[in-house]
Amino acid sequence: MGRILYAYLYAASICLIVLSTTAQASSINTSSGFNMPPGVTEISREVYSLHMTILWICVAIAVVVFGVMFYSLIVYRKSKGAKPAHFHENTTVEIIWTAVPLVILVLMAVPATATLKKMYDTSDAELDVLVTGYQWRWRYEYLEEDVSFFSNLATPREQIYEAEEKGDFYLVEVDEPMVVPTGVKVRLLLTANDVIHSWWVPDLAVKKDAIPGFINETWFKVDEPGIYRGQCAELCGRDHAFMPIEVKAVSPDEYQLWLASRREAAEAEVAGADREWSLDELMERGAGTYNTYCAACHQPQGQGLPPMFPALAGVGMSVDPDGLRAHKEIVLYGKTGTAMPAFGSTLSAAELAAVITYERNAWGNDTGDLIQPSAIRAMLESQ
Amino acid sequence: MASETSQATLHSSVSDVAAGGAAHASHGPTGLLRWLVTTNHKEIGSLYLIFSLVMLFIGGSMALVIRAELFQPGMQYVQPEFFNQMTTMHGLIMVFGAIMPAFVGLANWMIPMQIGAPDMALPRLNNFSFWLLPVAFGILLSTLFMEGGGPNFGWTFYAPLSTTFAPPSTSFFIMSIHLAGISSILGAINIIATILNLRTPGMRLMDMSLFVWTWLITAFLLIAVMPVLAGVVTMMLMDINFGTSFFDAAGGGDPVLFQHLFWFFGHPEVYIMILPAFGIVSLIVPTFARKRLFGYASMVYATASIALLSFVVWAHHMFTVGLPLTAELFFMYSTMLIAVPTGVKVFNWIATLFRGSITFEVPMLFALGFIVMFTIGGLSGVMLAIVPADFQYHDTYFVVAHFHYVLVPGALFAIMAAVYFWLPKWTGHYASETLGKWHFWLSVIGVNLTFFPMHFSGLAGMPRRIPDYALQFADFNMISSIGGFLFGFSQLIFVWVVIKAVRGGRKAPAKAWEGAEGLEWTVPSPAPLHTFDTPPAYDPQTDSPSRH
Amino acid sequence: MLKVIRSVLAAFFGVQSEANRQQDFQSTSPWKFIVVGVFMTLVFVFLVGFVAWLAAN
Repeated sequence: MGRILYAYLYAASICLIVLSTTAQASSINTSSGFNMPPGVTEISREVYSLHMTILWICVAIAVVVFGVMFYSLIVYRKSKGAKPAHFHENTTVEIIWTAVPLVILVLMAVPATATLKKMYDTSDAELDVLVTGYQWRWRYEYLEEDVSFFSNLATPREQIYEAEEKGDFYLVEVDEPMVVPTGVKVRLLLTANDVIHSWWVPDLAVKKDAIPGFINETWFKVDEPGIYRGQCAELCGRDHAFMPIEVKAVSPDEYQLWLASRREAAEAEVAGADREWSLDELMERGAGTYNTYCAACHQPQGQGLPPMFPALAGVGMSVDPDGLRAHKEIVLYGKTGTAMPAFGSTLSAAELAAVITYERNAWGNDTGDLIQPSAIRAMLESQ
Repeated sequence: MASETSQATLHSSVSDVAAGGAAHASHGPTGLLRWLVTTNHKEIGSLYLIFSLVMLFIGGSMALVIRAELFQPGMQYVQPEFFNQMTTMHGLIMVFGAIMPAFVGLANWMIPMQIGAPDMALPRLNNFSFWLLPVAFGILLSTLFMEGGGPNFGWTFYAPLSTTFAPPSTSFFIMSIHLAGISSILGAINIIATILNLRTPGMRLMDMSLFVWTWLITAFLLIAVMPVLAGVVTMMLMDINFGTSFFDAAGGGDPVLFQHLFWFFGHPEVYIMILPAFGIVSLIVPTFARKRLFGYASMVYATASIALLSFVVWAHHMFTVGLPLTAELFFMYSTMLIAVPTGVKVFNWIATLFRGSITFEVPMLFALGFIVMFTIGGLSGVMLAIVPADFQYHDTYFVVAHFHYVLVPGALFAIMAAVYFWLPKWTGHYASETLGKWHFWLSVIGVNLTFFPMHFSGLAGMPRRIPDYALQFADFNMISSIGGFLFGFSQLIFVWVVIKAVRGGRKAPAKAWEGAEGLEWTVPSPAPLHTFDTPPAYDPQTDSPSRH
Repeated sequence: MLKVIRSVLAAFFGVQSEANRQQDFQSTSPWKFIVVGVFMTLVFVFLVGFVAWLAAN
């Protein structure tokens, strides 16, 4: 039965050819293109070597098992005149081939246990970041630093729908990366706002589920500055493929500069609510906010995806002159029992005012309603 | 084989049976109604098998929609929400509609014939358990045409994505799971009742074929875990429609509880889909190696061991949910241990081949393909048990590659092997060897082209259940898609082979394969509608697969 | 009784000799095997749990 063997050799050689071409393609992590990335942390390298050890053990087992099997298939063919033997049990042999795998498994379990214990040790972390999964974006809150922001997919729709050439970091690029200082043990506190998500960056060997109502802990410590990319790993609905993760490791000095610039930007955003905005200003800002936070469900042209995600264009509260209050409330406080989140606590007053104004005036809705950020701020403060 | 005298008695009883069978078949309803009300185990077995073949093609077409969309990066053919419905329905249909009913169909056909029983113990219940299935899957498929679409939360339907955030059709999905579950439980009860009560006098448990043994243990697993599935979907139904908060954190519920319950069902379910396959391979390998199965007793003991251990490994599907360290270690160790009895089975098959007198008819090819590729899936399963490494493998294409190796060239190849093995008994004609070999080789190439590259894309970092991916994964996905279409269309050959064998072909004798053993080969081919109206003579000293 | 425990252990291990198997199946009732099997499963679970607890602490 040499043919089975040839088929496998053939398949293996095809794979190797493919591997050599893929290895040259742009890589989004330290993976060679067909293997687990060794990554950039002590833990990730340990996980990688554990992976390689078990892989080679499995390959060795396969070679022995298939070796005996194919030897039998080739030698004991009836067409070669093989006569069947009559043995049908041998307790000694059976005990040996049961005990040997048992020993191999124990040998595998020892280093695995040691590594796992290290991965579970979140003590002595110097920086705590609360990571919250949303449909379909991540939010990072630097707990001691009073800095928080959303991190959204940065790849434009045109690239996804084939209208534009795809960039090198197609689907693994974000508007605001998570920035961490090098050489610092960062503890992640993971939770979710709606459904279960999973925060995964292969180069850090960190994958942990973000579960509503739970807070999970994990940690990493990056030594080399760089950008490390990952994705949500737990099916979380329609845009599961479109909520990437970008971790940017920078020197501690640079990190402090970044913190300062984030705080400044946040202050400017708050101050924006003090002044009067024109309709054009609000519409422009609102279009950006809408496309980032609302378009995945309610669609770029407001047509929605009924019955899960209602349409906003031409129907419902967004064209009803008396619906303004209800419209503001649903955007600010969300709607329980549905996928509509409460944006009041996460977006700025300016963004909220702009997006409501946009929804009431875009796509021919033309209600002429103009909502000022100060009004939204008043509404939030009255709560 | 049986001694001269017992052979003779068998044959005389068989011809009585055949005559009686013809008389039975002549009255009763005809046409479609006959199939609707049939209580004959062979007819119901055929219904199950035809049903699962239809489901295989429906679920397979969905897989091809998935592979077409993943052929290149970017969204080309479907929208993400429809893609999610396809992955979900593909999984549900293949697990509950194709693999499980196919094994029940084989059990219906072969268990009574292998233990010398005239029919299943509960023939009317048998009819009912089959006809629940078309209803269940009719409901499930109809959800695709409802407003908001069908289930889109993966075949594992994790809450709260499947409750608070689910489409309105989810209650119909729950209904269909309930019906399919009832069908499985009733089928299992019937199989246990048949095996324990209707064995021909003289046949002890330890004289039963391994197919009967593995099905007996599988049936107990089904009765143990299907009610858990029914419970968990009922809790979902309450959460969705009656305001409870079992899985809703906002109401004090626990989304992780869902996963514990689901996998307490789900992991034994994995063994439900593979143990009967072990039984089939344990019949086919000795037949074509012309040598008794090595370590019959160990095989039975290992099957029981796998079944018991399968209840204490469920959380290895949940290593990333944040279980306490002790729990992670417990489930890592128990999962590694379950690899041992599974390995024993593979070694026993190979020891059976060793110093045999081997020929390579189509059923043997599929059985050998099963051993090789199931072992590949088993080894990647061992890798997945290592928790720190699993953090990198979990929810990637590496996992997709792993369970497809276990289920496609594993369970599905075993079913194909069984069909080629018993077609001569069912139809009286051998399947075409040439077409069968084409089917086998194209399937082997297709299946490896589809699933082997998934190991690589998963290791390199591609999450599962995504309709679009980073450019790095483009090459492997293109290969997988080409392989997927090759594998899918190759199955049309199988349909043609079966139709051809039903309509004619080389006539098969009662004992269709030179090395075949067991009572089913003592009745004529094709088997008459009613076999063993009187129990056949059975002498464990000469007829048992475990005789000395 | 020791014989039953040995047989159940053999089942856990997945290997049994034909001679011992023949002896096991001389017994008319499977109940003592089932009861001991379930009990030993609990012992096994407890044992693995204990090892995991030891390793974790």
